[in-house]
Amino acid sequence: MNNINIGLSDILLVSPMIALFLASLIPITVKVLRGNREQHPLVTLSQAMIGIVVAVGLLIVFGGAGKTAFNNGLIFDGVTQWMGVIALAAAGAAMVMMYENPSTTGKQFSELIFLAMSSAVGMLILVAAVDLLMVFIGLEMMSLALYLMIAMSHEEKLSKEAALKYFVLGSFASAVFLYGVAFIFGSTGGTNILAFMDSAAELVQSSRLFLFGITFVILGFCFKVSIAPFHAWTPDVYQGAPTPHTAFMATAVKTVSFAAFLRVIATKSLVGSDHLFDILQWLAVITMIVGNTAALLQNNLKRMIAYSSVAHSGYILVGIVTAGVSDNGAFGASGVIFYLLSYALMTLGAFAITSMMEKSENHIVNVEDLAGFARQRPMLALCFTVFLLSLAGIPPTLGFFGKFYLFNAAIGEGLLWLAVWGMISSVIGVYYYLRPIVVMYMKDGNAEVAGHSLNATTVTAVVMAVAIVLMGFVSGPIFAAVEKSLL
Amino acid sequence: MILSSIVFLPLLFALIVAVWPKSNTIRHLALGLSVVEFLFSLSIFKHFDPSSAGLQMVEKFMWIERFGIQYFMGIDGISLWLVLLTTFLTPIIILASWTSITERVKGFHVALFILQTAMLGTFLAMDAIFFYVFWELSLVPMYFMVGIWGGARRLYATVKFFIYTMAGSVLMLVAIIYMMYLTQEATGQMSASLLDFYKLKIPFVGGTFFSLQTLMFFAFALAFSVKVPVFPLHTWLPDAHVEAPTPGSVILAGVMLKMGTYGFMRWVIPLFPEASEYWAWLFMLIGVVGIIYGALVAMVQPDVKKLVAYSSVSHMGYILLGLFAFNAFGMAGGLYQMLNHGISTGALFILIGMIYERTHSREISKYGGLAGVLPIFTIFFFIITLSSIAVPMTNGFVGEFFILLGTFQAQPVFAYFAVTGVVLGAVYMLWMFKRVFFGPEGELVKDEHHPLHDLNAREIVVLVPMVIMVFWMGLFPNHFLNYSKASIDYLVNNRSNYNLTIVQPGAPAAEQAQGGN
Repeated sequence: MNNINIGLSDILLVSPMIALFLASLIPITVKVLRGNREQHPLVTLSQAMIGIVVAVGLLIVFGGAGKTAFNNGLIFDGVTQWMGVIALAAAGAAMVMMYENPSTTGKQFSELIFLAMSSAVGMLILVAAVDLLMVFIGLEMMSLALYLMIAMSHEEKLSKEAALKYFVLGSFASAVFLYGVAFIFGSTGGTNILAFMDSAAELVQSSRLFLFGITFVILGFCFKVSIAPFHAWTPDVYQGAPTPHTAFMATAVKTVSFAAFLRVIATKSLVGSDHLFDILQWLAVITMIVGNTAALLQNNLKRMIAYSSVAHSGYILVGIVTAGVSDNGAFGASGVIFYLLSYALMTLGAFAITSMMEKSENHIVNVEDLAGFARQRPMLALCFTVFLLSLAGIPPTLGFFGKFYLFNAAIGEGLLWLAVWGMISSVIGVYYYLRPIVVMYMKDGNAEVAGHSLNATTVTAVVMAVAIVLMGFVSGPIFAAVEKSLL
Repeated sequence: MILSSIVFLPLLFALIVAVWPKSNTIRHLALGLSVVEFLFSLSIFKHFDPSSAGLQMVEKFMWIERFGIQYFMGIDGISLWLVLLTTFLTPIIILASWTSITERVKGFHVALFILQTAMLGTFLAMDAIFFYVFWELSLVPMYFMVGIWGGARRLYATVKFFIYTMAGSVLMLVAIIYMMYLTQEATGQMSASLLDFYKLKIPFVGGTFFSLQTLMFFAFALAFSVKVPVFPLHTWLPDAHVEAPTPGSVILAGVMLKMGTYGFMRWVIPLFPEASEYWAWLFMLIGVVGIIYGALVAMVQPDVKKLVAYSSVSHMGYILLGLFAFNAFGMAGGLYQMLNHGISTGALFILIGMIYERTHSREISKYGGLAGVLPIFTIFFFIITLSSIAVPMTNGFVGEFFILLGTFQAQPVFAYFAVTGVVLGAVYMLWMFKRVFFGPEGELVKDEHHPLHDLNAREIVVLVPMVIMVFWMGLFPNHFLNYSKASIDYLVNNRSNYNLTIVQPGAPAAEQAQGGN
């Protein structure tokens, strides 16, 4: 740690973050220069989009070489590249929704976009971080911006409550995580994952301190990615936050948190400790069941998708456990990445539809409100159907292939019972995913989207629905590309 | 490319219907397209070699290379008639729904064509994952059909239908993935091809439930049993049938239930021969229970559609019995009965739909004396009733006779009980027929404000092909059985060492005759 060299290669590698950060400054700078007058939201949005597109481009060009930067603090490999691109794309889509949702559009839009972009910078750090302290920095940068985003959404009580809940529990999770990092530092003298990568399995067995450390770190992640029983904040926060923020949290934030989780698990610490291995398996099972059964009982559409996202965390955890015990970790990890790709697309789509249904700031959309939607807006109803069927894992949608690859890896690793549980609990899921479809198509009513100005969100939803159907057919090459980039 | 065209042409038709601008010509368009599909599907005969047991007209290429999943279609004597049954019934369904489906006509035909693709794909796919995609896809349009165009309790029925059948098949997916790993172990190359699965020798231990082959057997058998449906997994069926619109019922009974019995023939029996043989008693038992239970419950139904729905449970029990008899008679009878049931029960549902359109009631007690008012309708109904209770010279007789013959050879005890089903079948059908068509005129029939009209030309056109099939299949069963004989004989004789091979087009006829041997 003594001699820190920063060269051109470091700068090039982190160029996506730099680009994103610079782009994030544009809207608020312009606002200040204009005498604190808001520029047209569309201009703000385009600035953000340019930043995201440039960052994605740079990530694709420089991100995948398997090189490390800043003294092994950050690594740029396939995981960084894929998860980064997914997260940035999801963030971009969420920003489009922010532009049009009644509770986020308005006078503080520049600040909102600035915060969202800052959060995205934190995400990029998080996907690339291989030093636990770097992980912490990424996590906090991402989360702090998020707390503010939720809290600043006008004067809504639910949002404030959500922000506070998220802040308190998020900080608690961070503290647990940091506590774990301290243990790991205490037992190995370092916090770099790459340093203890190969020895973690033995360290877990030989050193109690290290085992504690890794357990706390994992617990911290479990909070962040809402693994039951640490998921309790999720439905409240997801419901309280403005829908675009919820979409942002449920997809981009979750993707990058799982990326960091994956890096810790890839140390094979699970191989060393049977207990840890068992506990994580059980957590996955509990999460799948809790998420799916709780979602059954929801009438509020947003809350239902929130619980369903808890269930999906359970599925992904199956993939994480698989990657953690497999000799061929790339296979399990690719399953996770592919699943996150499909999950991000379909969840964003579902939230986009929900966002469009919201007529005013405090409007709560219940499942029954969708009655007659298919007649009023056949195109959007069809898109929503695609999202829901994909979430339920019905072929030939992308969601089916996501589950297929994920559980395929699990079965290949001998985790047959996890796969069976996953399949059985996904049948429970089918029931509540079908409900909105039932209401949309089979009940009469006059559901209408909020206004005619929601064009960008509509386009986003349609693009995602088409992607979900088409990518299902070419899922093989995509999966192969993901796996190849991890080897 | 014949098979691919047959499977995906309806999908193209769905697209054409979806973008068709004129709403008043959609029915004509859809009818025309479905007839085109049927005529096109007849071109199979030009290339099909009935003397071969092998897989013909094969189309395959790699789809998902990482896991050895292929786009793989082929046809043999087992799937041939099921494909034709599907394409045969679709135009009839469209014509039969001419006046009963009045809302969202476009959406209905789009769903119907998508469903047709899914069903045809299920019968022709020879790769496990490819098959599974079609298998699950078929749920979606059916779900919409019942849910949008169905009766009063349609929402309950459609969700139940979806969840039951989906729940049945998820374990099959796990088993399929597991078998893909077994092929990797055996050959070093992962594959989802059914032909590779056939070569697996999955360990089997008799007397225990927890041997690998038994577990896999039940994972598959559960999926197919729900679809068939066998007793006691049948409860979704009466609900779905009663709530479904006429065309939905016809497809459900005519084709979708066959996906389950086809699954037993194509997958369960050849893939898990020892387990199938060991557990055959169980499936014969539930087959027999289904026959008798279905018949008894059908007997007491006040609703004529529900009566036919329960009669399906009974008839499907015969098919199961035939398949698990493991001899040429039983298998051939089972396959034949699949087609019979598609024709007879399909026709019954169409007839019930016609009378429902006139009276808006299906309660048997409200009818009576219909024969005097609707003579043509009565004649058609009578013919189909005879076919359903398997009177000689009708198609039903051939199927049931073969099945019972096969069962007597294999398990006489089950056959004794199954025969009672024949009697019970005659009882409930004829009793229903008597109550509906003879005796004093019921309140619906003598309602002077709504005089009943006999069948019109369109309705007769719908029914005539069905009646032709009833007699054709009843009088000349060999016209049909000859095409399936080689495949069935091969399945029966080489069950434990099933090794379906691909027939190369253009190979000398003598070699092809060997087929899979």
